[in-house]
This record gives sequence, structure tokens and C-alpha cells, in this order.
Amino acid sequence: MNKDSKEHISQLMDGEIGGDTGRFVLRQLEASGELRDTWARYHLIRDCMRYQDRGLAGGELSDRVRSSIDQPATPAEIGSTGTRVGARWLRPVAGLAIAASVALMAVVAVTPNLENDSGFGTEQISAASAQPFASPNILSGGPETRPVNLNGGAKPASPKMNSYLLRHYQVAGSSAGNGFISFVPIVTSKSAMQNDEAAESIQSQSEIESDPDRP
Amino acid sequence: MIPAKTKERISSRQFHCLLFFVGFSIQLFADDSDFPEAVKHLNQMSLAMSQMTYQGTFVYVQGSLVETMRITHVVDENGIHERLVAQTGRQRELRRDAEGVRWIARDQQAVVSDPSVNRGFFPVVTSDAIENAADFYTISLGGLEPLAGRLGRKLSIIPLDKYRYGYSLWLEEPSGFLLKWELFQDSARPLARLMFTDIRIGNEVDRSELLSNDSMDGFQTQASDLPQKPTITQSKPRWIPEKPPPGFRLTSHRREDSQSAVMFQHLVYSDGIATVSVYVEPFSETDGSGTGASSLGTTNAHSRLLDDYLITVMGDVPAATVREMAMSVTKQSP
Repeated sequence: MNKDSKEHISQLMDGEIGGDTGRFVLRQLEASGELRDTWARYHLIRDCMRYQDRGLAGGELSDRVRSSIDQPATPAEIGSTGTRVGARWLRPVAGLAIAASVALMAVVAVTPNLENDSGFGTEQISAASAQPFASPNILSGGPETRPVNLNGGAKPASPKMNSYLLRHYQVAGSSAGNGFISFVPIVTSKSAMQNDEAAESIQSQSEIESDPDRP
Repeated sequence: MIPAKTKERISSRQFHCLLFFVGFSIQLFADDSDFPEAVKHLNQMSLAMSQMTYQGTFVYVQGSLVETMRITHVVDENGIHERLVAQTGRQRELRRDAEGVRWIARDQQAVVSDPSVNRGFFPVVTSDAIENAADFYTISLGGLEPLAGRLGRKLSIIPLDKYRYGYSLWLEEPSGFLLKWELFQDSARPLARLMFTDIRIGNEVDRSELLSNDSMDGFQTQASDLPQKPTITQSKPRWIPEKPPPGFRLTSHRREDSQSAVMFQHLVYSDGIATVSVYVEPFSETDGSGTGASSLGTTNAHSRLLDDYLITVMGDVPAATVREMAMSVTKQSP
């Protein structure tokens, strides 16, 4: 990484370059982990400089947020879970070839351990108490969509989920006023992830929850 | 630009209603000096992102994913025409227009389409929604910053509990165009970030980019198997989350259950900022549906079976929120 690259990163942060040059720098950023690290460092430096007089998380606002988060959450009364992942499977999914092909576009990473949580949010709440919400402008290392492949299989995600996603994004883009931003996740490369556990987690009827009202 | 004649667009009456709601909310929260101005900016953003004609390149960062995308959004007498194209990575794009939504994967020569959802482009902004959001978020304005050759004012939307994400928005003044967007959960790092690097507005937009030079001959198309004309109803839903997280209210109820069609229910809950969908359909083994938690980017979903019905809750909210909603869904007595 040369001096020009660092200069371009700095200019990009400040919104001082655009057009072809901007796209060139973005391509560099995508290709170089070193450049991405520089991007993150620059943001951190800028934030430190910007907030040095009032603290990074600072002031009355953060106190308000902290006190709100510190309040114990009321665990929801959650019924027993109806499915367990990892059980024997498999009923062949009668997927049409076209559906299977298209379904590969969808995501959906199953995190079956959530099914075994005994209560809602307890662990997260306590973690949040130690670390109040803040929003420094550093490059994210946040959670990613996680592909899961318990059996080493490669079953496609459900076409049903594709349909749900499209319709939900349409509603979300309209009602929250975000417009196209709602759709961005399904245009990314990671929208190609597969989901085989979802189908696998369908259990026999005896393991399916029953409606209490049903005889 | 605000077009005049199409059903999908703002009527004069709707626009004045919106102005009334903005003014009403300003009165309502007159004791908080920052909040009314922040809400005004939020409403301007909603109008700008849906009703302006614009085009631009932005970078999207989510975890280790860094991708460049191109958006072309045109509003004319025929409604909205939109094309969102990945410039890097896999050849993915999304198109929206009067014919619905098409999600195109050129690398797989496949298209998922939903022709029914060309409605409701006008953002739903009500005084109730604004008031509701104020109870669950701190909304405040920051200073101006240069972004993509323009000046953007920062708008912070910070959640007051763990059931929703937080946002930082940088909005151009006075248009309200969204120059930069960040999404947070409860950590010090953003889950996702989007930032424009160049923007064209109005007559500067090259409308030819709505079309692609690449042929889609031979592409396989999967039409959505959801009902295409579900009825919007005021009736009580048959299935509802008994205990939705605080602040999430039912804002829309669509269903289809005529004798000739299978039962389908789509509930939309919102806290004024975040939106969550609740789908209920008879379970079918052949559609590959499953249960449990799942995610796409920052969108989380949770599915479960209740009797012979598949219940799926999804939204741009923390995973625990959709899980709680899904697990609390019960069938209502007739």
C-alpha cells in the first residue's frame, strides 16, 4: 500500500472523491485487507479527534441509554420449542429443478442453538449492561450471515423464504421509508448461501407443537 | 419530483396529510428541542427516497463483506422504476416497477418474481407512528459532514431497549437524500454500513441504466407462490403474536382464505422505525420450508410449526425479537 492509496482512503472518507476515481478506490478497498484496516484506523482516529472533548460514548444521552438498558428485561413467556435440529431426517424435498436453482439465491443461516435458549435475551441484556450502546464510525467486524451445513449436504434454501423476503422487503421499504435499502441484502454475494438445516429441522408430527385449542 | 396522476403516487391530499402529521408531531414534542427537527428530517428522507429521481454508486459493508452497488430510481407518470445492481461479486440485481419485483441472479440464470407487490410505495408516516417511535428510540440531530461531494446532517436513532436496532443516517440538506446509513445492535461496531460515493439527481440521471444490455434468454423464472392479491382487511387476525415486543403494533393485515385458495396471512408490525412481517400458511413438505432461526445480512427470521401451519416472522431487528414474536403466535378463537 503506497502513500497515494492512503491519501485516496482519506479523501474517500471525507467525500472528496467520486466518479471513476471513487470506484477505483472502492475496488482497491474490496481487494485489500490492508486498506480495509487503514480505513478502520482512520475512522477510529477521526472519531477520537471528534469526540475528545466529550467522550466517545458521551454525555447525557449515553447515560439515558445506559440506564434504559440496565433495566431488567421481562422475559417473555415462551412456549416450548417445537423442533430440534440435528435429529434424524430426511424426507426428500420434492424440489423442482427450477425451484432448486432459484432457491440458491436465498440465504438463510440457521442457528439452531437459539432454539434451546431457556429465556429471551437474558444473556444479551447483561452483556449490554457492561457495554452501553455507542456508535463510533469504525469499520464493522459485526456478525455475518452464517452458512450452516450440518450434514455436509447442499440442499438449497426454501423458495418459500425467497418469496417471504421479497414481500417483506417491499413492505419494509415502504413503511419505514428506507426505499431500496431494504433490498440491499439480497443483491449481495452472500445472498447465495445455502440452507439445508431448515428443511432438516422439520420433525415428525409427534415433535411438532400442538395448538392448545386443537382437540 | 412529485408526480401527479398515478395511483401509486402521492395525492395532494396525502401530501397535506403528511405535512399535517409532521406539524402535529412537532407540536406534540415541543418540549424536546431536537426531536421535532429530527422527525422533520426523517420524513424528508422518506419522501426523498421514494419520490425523487436519483442514481448513484454506493459501497455496502456488512461484516467482512464489502460490495459496490449501483442504484437507479426513476419516478415518472408510470410510477416508480428502480434497478439495483451489484457492481462487484456475484451478478445480482433487483428491479421494481409496475410489473412488480424481480430478483435476478445472472450467475445462475435465475429470476424470482413477485408481481403483486407494486403498491404502497408511499411511506406510511402517521402521527401515531412518530409518537410511538419516540417511546422506544432517542432521535437526535448532529452536525453537517461532507459526503460524496455533498453536505449531510447526521441523524441518530438510538434504541432504548434490546428489541430493535439503532441507526445513524446522514441526510443531505435540504433534499433529505440518504447519503450514508449505518445500522447498530448493542455493540460498539455497526452491523452494516452503506455510503454513497457519487450521486445524480433529477435530470442528471441516465435512465438507460434501468435497462440491461445483457440478455436474459434462457433464464429460469420462479414466480412467488404467495397469494398475489391478498385482501387488506381490518378484521381480527386468526393468528397473532400474543406478546409482541414493546412498541410493535399491528399496522397491516393481509389475508387470503377464500374457499378456492389456501389460507394465507401476512401481518406487519412496526414500532415506527423497524418493520416485522408475520406470515402464517399451511405447512407443506414439498416447498422445502423449515423451522428455526435464519438470517440474511441483518435481516433475521424465525419459523416454527403450530399444528399444520408454518409461522415465519422476519424483520430487520435482532434475532431474539423475531424469535419471541414467532414463539408467542397463537391461534385466536373464531
